[in-house]
Amino acid sequence: MLLEVRRLTKRFGGVAAADDLSFDVEEGSITALIGPNGAGKTTVFNLISGFLRPDHGEIRFAKRRLEGRRGDIVARSGLVRTFQTPRVLTRMSVLDNLLLAAQDQPGERLGLGWIMPRRVARREREIHARALEMLDLVRLRHVSDQYAGALSGGQRKLVEFARALMVMPRMILLDEPMAGVLPALVLQLLDHVQDLRDHRGVTVFLIEHDMDVVMSVSDRVIVMDEGRLIADGPPQAIQNDDRVIEAYLGPAAQSESSGKGPRETPRG
Amino acid sequence: MTQFAELVVTGLVTGAVLALAGVGASLVFGIQRIPNFAHGEYLTFAAYLAFLLNVPFGQNLVAATAGAIAGTALLAIGIHFVVLRPLRGRGLVAMSLVTAGLALMLRDVVFLVAGTQVRQYAIDQTKVFALGFLRISPGEAVAIPIATVVLPAVALLLARTPMGKSMRAVADNRDLAAISGIDVERVGVHVWLLAGALAGLGGVMLAVVEGTFDPNLGFQVLFLIFTTVVLGGIGNAYGALVAGLVLGVAMDLATWNGFFGGLDAQYKPVLAFCVLIVLLLVRPQGLFGRATVL
Amino acid sequence: MDVFNPAFWTFVAIMAGIYVVLALGLYVQFSLAGLPNFGHVAFMAVAAYTMAILVVRAAMPLPVAAIFGLVAAVALGCLLGIPSVRLRADYLAIASVAAGEMVRYLATNLSWLTGGPLGSVGLLGPARFVSYNAGWQDLLDRLSRALSSVLGSAATPDRAMLLVVWSLAGALLWVFRRLERSPWGRVLRAIREDETAATAVGKHVAAFKLQALLLGAALGGLAGLLLAWQIGVFSPNDFEPTLTFYAYLILIFGGMNRLWAIPVGAAVFSLLYTGTQFLTFFPLSLVDSGSRAFLRLFSVGFLLVLFMMIRPQGLLGNRRELLLEK
Repeated sequence: MLLEVRRLTKRFGGVAAADDLSFDVEEGSITALIGPNGAGKTTVFNLISGFLRPDHGEIRFAKRRLEGRRGDIVARSGLVRTFQTPRVLTRMSVLDNLLLAAQDQPGERLGLGWIMPRRVARREREIHARALEMLDLVRLRHVSDQYAGALSGGQRKLVEFARALMVMPRMILLDEPMAGVLPALVLQLLDHVQDLRDHRGVTVFLIEHDMDVVMSVSDRVIVMDEGRLIADGPPQAIQNDDRVIEAYLGPAAQSESSGKGPRETPRG
Repeated sequence: MTQFAELVVTGLVTGAVLALAGVGASLVFGIQRIPNFAHGEYLTFAAYLAFLLNVPFGQNLVAATAGAIAGTALLAIGIHFVVLRPLRGRGLVAMSLVTAGLALMLRDVVFLVAGTQVRQYAIDQTKVFALGFLRISPGEAVAIPIATVVLPAVALLLARTPMGKSMRAVADNRDLAAISGIDVERVGVHVWLLAGALAGLGGVMLAVVEGTFDPNLGFQVLFLIFTTVVLGGIGNAYGALVAGLVLGVAMDLATWNGFFGGLDAQYKPVLAFCVLIVLLLVRPQGLFGRATVL
Repeated sequence: MDVFNPAFWTFVAIMAGIYVVLALGLYVQFSLAGLPNFGHVAFMAVAAYTMAILVVRAAMPLPVAAIFGLVAAVALGCLLGIPSVRLRADYLAIASVAAGEMVRYLATNLSWLTGGPLGSVGLLGPARFVSYNAGWQDLLDRLSRALSSVLGSAATPDRAMLLVVWSLAGALLWVFRRLERSPWGRVLRAIREDETAATAVGKHVAAFKLQALLLGAALGGLAGLLLAWQIGVFSPNDFEPTLTFYAYLILIFGGMNRLWAIPVGAAVFSLLYTGTQFLTFFPLSLVDSGSRAFLRLFSVGFLLVLFMMIRPQGLLGNRRELLLEK
């Protein structure tokens, strides 16, 4: 298992946003984390990615303990996240957004640019080439010199996605990658996600509300409600799981919807 | 022991000034997201307004204080509408720079108008009152009753009145407050009124306690006000009330002979600075605050 | 003095060069890394005092004392930065205001060490005046003699100072221009924009912020040393908290985020500021010199507010970039 989460707990005041959660994410898989609004999905991402410190529990990534580590250390260890509302650097160019994310640039050490200018320049050329490749991948090369702040919401998602890939992650956490992206682009993004797994060996763990996406793309689905894990299994099994349907639609709706599977409903 | 008790009294008076100014600054910080670098100057403005009413116009100090409170509240509101509100959303640093600019303007207007000479109110500064075994100065004799009435009143205002509750709610979580139907805009105006009025009272009290003052009066306590705000937790009004008193008493008690022979009085601000740095290291959310998320 | 006196212009230009170094320190901290430092003057004061005390009381050679001065400024940066760079920006703002006040307060009250309110004149106690500046004057004399072979009688110690200050300022501008455009500068800009995003791609935000804070502290210290050498004697009042805001005003002239605008802003500011100090023609003749000092400070405040309100992008900047939606 690439990621192992054991008995993870985080409380805000009296409310448990993550309550004794245990689950695994298998290397080379696409795993989805779903649940109604307020179920605690983003909290789980924040805990795993080092942006929140858990109250209890263990997080192991590639056998290394990660809980309570700083976010930048988590990212450097190969576990990179994106955000629900994309956090692009608005007053930097799209290209700079990507260049920033590359690792092992000695020029980021103060003064090393003077001591080893050749190595810095060589690395800069490498990451420049890679950034252009990533921009081609998300079809944003034509805006590479624009300020990232001038892009639409969907384009920002793509920039953030490409930026996360610049880190060369072993596993990527995508927080609602499809939200706000044009429907035409969704399919394209889906392709990217599958391509990540198939050709780049990147493990994908994503939060997603669009059930069609979840069911078509994921190998495994983990369902949360009110901070607890209520189901964990292959998509077909989840679709027919009573607890899942209940969590999404309330007990009354159970009988009618069992065939089609849960859909996101606005709640809370 | 008498020295100890007297130091506690002096400390409480200083503390009351810090608490009055600190509550306002903390609420403004929490509600408007403005670290108001001009807050000290509001105190100066009030002290000079009261002086104007008290000495050249011959009003008694109570009337002069009332005038200063009203005047400073108006000043705060005016600055809010003319300068700060149009700049909303420009970020913390822009706000810091603007209020720092305002501070320079206010202080130097006072310097230009009132001059550099040292002033005092028309009260007998040499008289000594005996309160049991305590000897207290006339400044303290005025300040203590004011503080004992006003500080609980402020606490009550925040705890009981709808506006007070709204203020605390907005300071705690602006978005949540807005969603639950609180008129954030109106609260923003009222918080400036309150902060201005409290700074007005604090300014006159500070001038009375110091005995004599010049236009640097408020600026000299600005960083103590900020320390109070951090100590109480930014945006936490009750925290600031208590923190002001604690800081005031702690600074004066540090000079007590029983405290390792007593710190030299001139190092009181240094003590406050050390408190601030240690606090930032170990409890940035303040003595009473909760750790915030992300 | 009047505008036709070359000494006036030399003085304006020297001060402008010192302001460049001062503002450059804030630029690194604030414009590059987004750290609001409102006590920049503290770094100046600490460096100047350390240097002067070591020269006068420990008879240390000037260059060594100067290095210790810079070290002291950086140490103050550590004291301030280590607790606060991990926190929200507002905490650093508050702590730095406090530090600025504290340094001036200690300089005034630790008379046995600093000479008290009298400043460097009182370093050895009353009536025992020893300047810290002899080594520096000596250096300028030698430099001006060396220059006289090229410039003839135009070479004076003042002009040697001008040359030193602006060579230093120019070199530093060039160095920081390079740093700004290096991958290191890219990380700092990213941190200024969004710390969370920078963390998410594996950058250790606090470490970078501390580096920027300490570099800025060293530059502030250097500006303090230059100022001390230029004015010859100094007192705590030469390190008023308002100096920090002069530096901000200089940055704002250039719209906060343009390195090459710093020398322009510094020159404009120095001319306005020094001009109102020494020139006496109408309308300046209407106010006496005491009031003029307050009027000048008032104007600094007014310009700060005005720029923030109507031209946040500075005289030369581009508003669109500034207001890009987050």
